[in-house]
Amino acid sequence: MKTTTQQGLLGLAFAAGLGVMAGLPGAALASDDTIIWGKPGEITGFDAHVAGTVTSWQMYQMVYETLLTTDDAMALQPGLAESWEQTSPTSYVFRIRPGATFSNGRPVVAADVIGSLMRIKNPETASYWTAQLGTIAKIEAPDDHTVTVELEAPHTAFLAALAHITAAILPIKELEDGSFDPTSQLMGSGPFMVAEHKQDESWTLAKNPHYWRKDAAAPGTLSAPIIPDDSARMAALRDGRIDFTTFSNPDVALMLSRDSNIEVLPQQTTNYYRMDVNAKSEASAFHDKRVRQAFNLALDRDAINNLVFAGSTTVDYPVPAAFGKSACQNAPTYALSREDRLAKAKALLAEAGTTAPEITIMATSADPVYGRIAQVAQQSVAEAGFVADIVQPPMAEYLDKVFTKGDFDVSLSWLAGYTDPTMVIAWWNPTFAVWNQSFQEDVPALDTALEEVKSLPDGEIRDAKLVEICDLIDDGANLLALVSRTDYIAYRADKIEVKAANRSGSSNTFQFIYDFKSLD
Amino acid sequence: MRILFYFLPKLAVAAITMLGVSALVFLSLRMIPGGYADVLLGPFVTPEAREAIAVRYGLDQPLLIQYLNWLGALFQGDLGVSMVTRAPVLDEFLRRAPVTLELALLALIVALAGGLPLGILAGIAPPDHRGGLLARLVGALGASVPDFVLGSLLIFVFSVWSLWLRVGGYVGPIEDPVGNLRVMLLPALTLSLFGIALVLRTTRDAVLRVMTEGHITTALARGERPIDIVRLHVLRNAAIPVVTVVTTYFGFLLGGAVVVEVLFSIPGIGFFIFSGLENRDYAIVQAGVLIAAAVFITINMLADLAYALIDPRVGSGRH
Repeated sequence: MKTTTQQGLLGLAFAAGLGVMAGLPGAALASDDTIIWGKPGEITGFDAHVAGTVTSWQMYQMVYETLLTTDDAMALQPGLAESWEQTSPTSYVFRIRPGATFSNGRPVVAADVIGSLMRIKNPETASYWTAQLGTIAKIEAPDDHTVTVELEAPHTAFLAALAHITAAILPIKELEDGSFDPTSQLMGSGPFMVAEHKQDESWTLAKNPHYWRKDAAAPGTLSAPIIPDDSARMAALRDGRIDFTTFSNPDVALMLSRDSNIEVLPQQTTNYYRMDVNAKSEASAFHDKRVRQAFNLALDRDAINNLVFAGSTTVDYPVPAAFGKSACQNAPTYALSREDRLAKAKALLAEAGTTAPEITIMATSADPVYGRIAQVAQQSVAEAGFVADIVQPPMAEYLDKVFTKGDFDVSLSWLAGYTDPTMVIAWWNPTFAVWNQSFQEDVPALDTALEEVKSLPDGEIRDAKLVEICDLIDDGANLLALVSRTDYIAYRADKIEVKAANRSGSSNTFQFIYDFKSLD
Repeated sequence: MRILFYFLPKLAVAAITMLGVSALVFLSLRMIPGGYADVLLGPFVTPEAREAIAVRYGLDQPLLIQYLNWLGALFQGDLGVSMVTRAPVLDEFLRRAPVTLELALLALIVALAGGLPLGILAGIAPPDHRGGLLARLVGALGASVPDFVLGSLLIFVFSVWSLWLRVGGYVGPIEDPVGNLRVMLLPALTLSLFGIALVLRTTRDAVLRVMTEGHITTALARGERPIDIVRLHVLRNAAIPVVTVVTTYFGFLLGGAVVVEVLFSIPGIGFFIFSGLENRDYAIVQAGVLIAAAVFITINMLADLAYALIDPRVGSGRH
């Protein structure tokens, strides 16, 4: 009798457990009109104006829109702004698209654009994007569908900055009346709206019924289980539990391309892997510019491309290769042969009085690719005499050590190249990119050149200025561009139809998500 | 009354332990490098932005005030809100608890199914018996191979060749029982490896000890069949230490599934705590550690209570 009672209790407990679990929907609320995105990571916050991580940007792009967007050639295209006009070097007029509507049914009006841009500029918002927008002197709305912007000084990248998701247009009326909190909710005018979110587990997005592209093929539901592990996403794609996903590791892309029903689209980006070298810490060998220059020269970028990326990417420059500019290609780091660079590196080390400097390469554990790049870098700089260790801290520790404490020698990460050649190099000015002050040496001549280039229109004069900037950057050897970063979009060709840009400048990987179509 | 006097001091010690754990986890989290501002803003951290984020999440207040505020909320049943979602973490823990419970139960079943027969075999078989050798090999492997090594190996194999089982992509057991089993078997197997070794070794030791006792010799002399001797005499007497170990192991499973949940993307409590730690989402980690501590303390107190109920000498001062 006792045994029976115990068994009964156990059975009850198990049944109760199962009962609770019954309330747990799966990763995907599959239906015929659902496509499933294997999302590699959870967002780091809800505020589109604040988060500086791609994993967040990709989710925002499903829900929010920007005034402008870009095409394959990185040319600006209409977004929420149906048209725009630059009426003087500092004046712009934007006409907001009639029919653009937030997912709650309220039309997007000029006040939303003005409120969003002012929110980014507000220091209390803590948006890093304020620096890329230039200085707005005046912003007005002559009517509900027109916005005029007056900048204090010409800023060529102003329009390109508006095409980045960090400049998303939020529903300002709802924000002001308290019915929308941008730090805990997503609500925009984009193709989808959030139906359900389970933290670190999954997102379920429903098609925005008010989306202005009425011909959009977007499915009724976009389900996004979060699967951080590359192998797990690969397996899920193979057995059909997800329809599409992304990888940064070319090996995975190569392995998947052998499956007949899986297509892998490489998407060229303006982004590149980079190394930050600590010029500020007196405890680091890199405090001496000659040691930094030697390190930069000794790095074998071709080896990184060949060994880590199987030759699938390209050596990259501070002014990203994807823009087709040749501004940096004549700098010694790129122009000299490997032998000449090594000889020069050794000579610089000898001149600095340290023939075997001991350094530590910090490569976060967030992405396996960092560790592999670090290993190749470790071997290539050893040829010049460097003795390098590799450490792999978690992301938060890496960020703290590099951008707050400056407690490192050299660290590995990547930079978004955005959609204008002058945008990413702006980060080389520590008075502008103040987060780099912990490790970046201030070079007044470079600061001046970087400020000047912002106001120059695209053309020969700007290209010449870019060459001048590249030479100064190469001389300082403080932030080093390595190789381009390619995103790989892998999808089940037998289950969905995908449209993706060949090139992306704003990490807008799923720019055409509204044209993804289920074949079920 | 005897039980009450025995139990009250233990309750007081448990409360003090919980307070100590709360202070320790609170301080530890703030001592590790990096904060939520770093995670949220990525590399674009300005002192002003950091300050704005700190004010937004109450991190600008002195540590003692933050701790007391958290403690005060805890006493009202409020475990705090996630900095990422601004949603109450208690809801998330409740939602995820059944997933971790299921994983722990499956791992326990696998550990018992593997460890018990092998342990008995190792205990009764002669030293040079193949089965005994196999059992010792499994025991050594289980005790020495870390779960992340086995997990990574299984993920590699089963992501290349599906072989019916699935890697990642959790589905609930009611929604899709077969799909759930396909997803949960690999993590359960990974998590159970140490358990197999533990149960195997404990069972073998217990069986070896029982086998040398007089009543077994007597049973043999009586001509009882070996299977009856094992079933009626050996197993019953060897069960007590095995049950004790299994109980403790289950507690370990409930609190120690972090690595396996992360490896296999199983949305349980362990995965949640890991993400919280990665994001420096303090409320999640603090609540997670506190819940794990509470589970262990409760299990231990229940065991103490059981001892007192079973043995009248416990708590009476007579030993």
